Amino acid sequence: MNKKIKFNTKNLDLYYGDFQALKSINLEIYEKEVTAFIGPSGCGKSTFLRCLNRMNDLIDSVKIEGEIIFEGQDINGDIDVINLRTRVGMVFQKPNPFPMSIYENIAYGPKCQGVKDKTQLDTLVKESLVKAALWEEVKDRLNKSALGLSGGQQQRLCIARAIAMQPEVILMDEPTSALDPIATAKIEDLMSKLKKDYTIIIVTHSMQQAGRISDKTAFFLMGEVVEFNETPVIFTNPADKRTEDYITGRFG
Amino acid sequence: MGRKMKDVLAKSIIYLATGITLCVLLFIVGFIFVKGISLVNWDFLTRDYNEKVFYAFVQEEVVPMTIDAASLSQKDPYDKRYESSLEGPIYIENIGAAVSKVAYKNNATEKEQFVFSYIEKDSPLLSATDSTGKKLSIGTDYILESINGTDFEGLSLEDVAAQINHETGELKIKVVQPGGGVRSNIITTLYMVLVSLLIALPLGIFGAIYLTEYAKPGRLVNIIRFAAECLAGIPSIIFGLFGMAFFVVALKFQISLLSGSLTVAIILLPVIIRSTEEALKTVPTAFREGSLALGATKLQTIFKVVLPCAVPGIATAVLLSIGRVVGESAALLFTAGTVAQIPGTLFSPGSTLTVQAYYVAKEEGNIELACAIGIVIIVIVIVLNILSRITSDKLNVFNKK
Amino acid sequence: MEAIKRKKLKEKIIENIFLICACVAVISLLAITFFVFYNGLKPFVSNSYSLWSFLTGVEWRPGSNLYGILYMFVGSIFATLGAIIIGVPVAILTAVFIAELAGSKVGKLIRFAVELLAGIPSVLYGVFGLGIIVPYVLKISPMAQGESLLATILVLAIMILPTVISISETSLSTVPMEYREGSYALGASKIQTIFRVVIPAARSGIMTGVILGIGRAIGETMAVMLVCGNPIAGIPTSIFSQIRPLTTNIALEMGYAAGVHQELLYSTGVVLFIFIMIINFTVNKLVKAKVGS
Repeated sequence: MNKKIKFNTKNLDLYYGDFQALKSINLEIYEKEVTAFIGPSGCGKSTFLRCLNRMNDLIDSVKIEGEIIFEGQDINGDIDVINLRTRVGMVFQKPNPFPMSIYENIAYGPKCQGVKDKTQLDTLVKESLVKAALWEEVKDRLNKSALGLSGGQQQRLCIARAIAMQPEVILMDEPTSALDPIATAKIEDLMSKLKKDYTIIIVTHSMQQAGRISDKTAFFLMGEVVEFNETPVIFTNPADKRTEDYITGRFG
Repeated sequence: MGRKMKDVLAKSIIYLATGITLCVLLFIVGFIFVKGISLVNWDFLTRDYNEKVFYAFVQEEVVPMTIDAASLSQKDPYDKRYESSLEGPIYIENIGAAVSKVAYKNNATEKEQFVFSYIEKDSPLLSATDSTGKKLSIGTDYILESINGTDFEGLSLEDVAAQINHETGELKIKVVQPGGGVRSNIITTLYMVLVSLLIALPLGIFGAIYLTEYAKPGRLVNIIRFAAECLAGIPSIIFGLFGMAFFVVALKFQISLLSGSLTVAIILLPVIIRSTEEALKTVPTAFREGSLALGATKLQTIFKVVLPCAVPGIATAVLLSIGRVVGESAALLFTAGTVAQIPGTLFSPGSTLTVQAYYVAKEEGNIELACAIGIVIIVIVIVLNILSRITSDKLNVFNKK
Repeated sequence: MEAIKRKKLKEKIIENIFLICACVAVISLLAITFFVFYNGLKPFVSNSYSLWSFLTGVEWRPGSNLYGILYMFVGSIFATLGAIIIGVPVAILTAVFIAELAGSKVGKLIRFAVELLAGIPSVLYGVFGLGIIVPYVLKISPMAQGESLLATILVLAIMILPTVISISETSLSTVPMEYREGSYALGASKIQTIFRVVIPAARSGIMTGVILGIGRAIGETMAVMLVCGNPIAGIPTSIFSQIRPLTTNIALEMGYAAGVHQELLYSTGVVLFIFIMIINFTVNKLVKAKVGS
């Protein structure tokens, strides 16, 4: 195990106003792996995920203490948030393609970074769609509205859109919870391919999904990380009683 | 770095645009207040626009002055329309009032006139009557033109005082009630608001009830909605044309309060229908079901449960409507007229504040006076805005529950 | 039994009263259309004036029996276009500020200001134009008077602000948060997000606002009447030319016109009416299209 540590959080606390949503989180996330966060609703796993690309900035009442070291730099410090977000991409629970064409959706990020060259954009769009296993389905209608795609296709489009930024990390916030089983299978399949190139962090409600696709799993409960280990260990031999209760379905 | 520059540039353009919007508002409101404020006072609000000449019969009665000479000299008539005070004031005992001679300015022409500058509280002037015995009130700033047939024009103030002191018994005084005020316009505006709401409110509310509570979605509802939308988009001048052709000419209502109110009522209709509909839609279906389940008829449910819940919404509609009537001018020009008088009946004409503001700006070129009227209008608009904010907050509170 | 029947009948009658009230809007619209068209088409049907000379004439001299409205039409269009070009960008950016950049307190305050701006009667805009804009235009104008196309454009540009701002602001605020999140997650800045995602997503709402603004500008009468100059002839050739929009033509002469002259004022109203109806239909289509997607 000589993989590099991508994210390293130290005593991370997060408050929504007076409510403490995260309590002293210490996690190490390795590169080119799939790390899954599981836990009951409201346990803080999504909140934590949104710390990693500072999406919580959008909420006024949030206060964060502690460090999140990304590639040797504390991202809660004085860093370029935009630059961070180009390196740490994100896919949301509900597919959220912009109301524009498929092509424009993928080209959006690069264009925001100032890429203007048409051929460069064309290749980028194609590569991203190929990587997201969507190219064959949409290559004939790149200029049609992205809102015309099915839910699963829309979600893969959002993944392609994230890939087009050539990020190092992709955060996925319950990416399949709004999809049917077939679309879910396609996305899970895609994730296992993508982890060759990217570090993937996924929040999921489904323990089976975590078991199927992740290399490491963290179990969150009431704002704390109860246990963090190799996925097989967590699922077959959890150290903490609460983890065992959760994965055996005794609560949650 | 280029991108940051662009962002900063875009942001400053947005701030600039907002700044322009705010400045325009401040500038307009500021302009109207600065230009008009010097004319706005109690007299302005309580006087009619036109001067009124009448004969007053006063019983001569010697009333001594109760204030000292120094404070009498302070009682110069204060009115912007007087260029300057020329002589006086001199206290005249047998009418218990002081008179000054002033230069009176009416547009371009200047005239010398005598005005009452102080009236004792026991003065016989206060119990003056007209020829039929009806009580009249004479106040300060009223112009004194003649007494018992003796015209004062060209006389000095002392001559006038001597002349009045010379008369005994019942005095017949020709007095001019000064104009330049907007009392009649304020009252006309109130009448217009009342009559047009009386017409439009039941129609609008009942119409909205039909649309939300009875109508099944379909052709008819679409047509009604479309018609309401179209009405909302038609410019007031077209309503004015219609009002003139239909109410004034075809129905022979003449140019009158009624014609104006009916025309405005049509303008109000879409406003009232829309706000009431929105208010009715926010009433939860559970309320209706609850009432129906208790054996109430649909009608009882509507009047006892649904409408009371929608009251804040209807109040908002009323406030919006008042704003519309107060602001309306093009539709009233040919239906209610531009005569500054209090309409005695539904069939007499009268001009609202806004029409009057237009009239003095356009026909007399008097921007100061138009702005003074504008101040009254803007104050009304601000009060209406604040009230409608309060009522719509009420509606929201209800929604949260 | 009898009581129940009577109750039912009463309910039915009142329902029909409600229906009639709802139909008053339709009846009014039909009556307005009928009266304006009936009076306005009379002179052309009875051949007392030719439609062609009415529509293409550039002189309005009731004394010499000349009634041409082409120059008014052109004036109306120019004034409206000018007002849109100046007013719409300012209005949309203000709406962006309220919806996207301002905090809730500042936003509320500006919204209140915009509502106040909307509540000021048009006459007062005209008085403001006459007192401030016209004298200023006179200073820079080569003409002998300040009443001009430029003054009209400026007054109208101010007057469409509240309409365009409030409708744009509403449609900007209804853009789903997910679009913004998605854009931020792709490393777009706030400004990029606003201009590349939020505004395009709110496009149809903003367009509705702009078209209603056009409607307001074309239909505006009293404010324009005080600042436009109302010449009796001539297509405007520069921004300092006087213009006589369709609306003011009606308002100026309706008070004393009679006979064919009066009917032709109604004809002017017909032209205006058709214009406005086209705008109404467009708005209706836009709103429907929005609901459709």
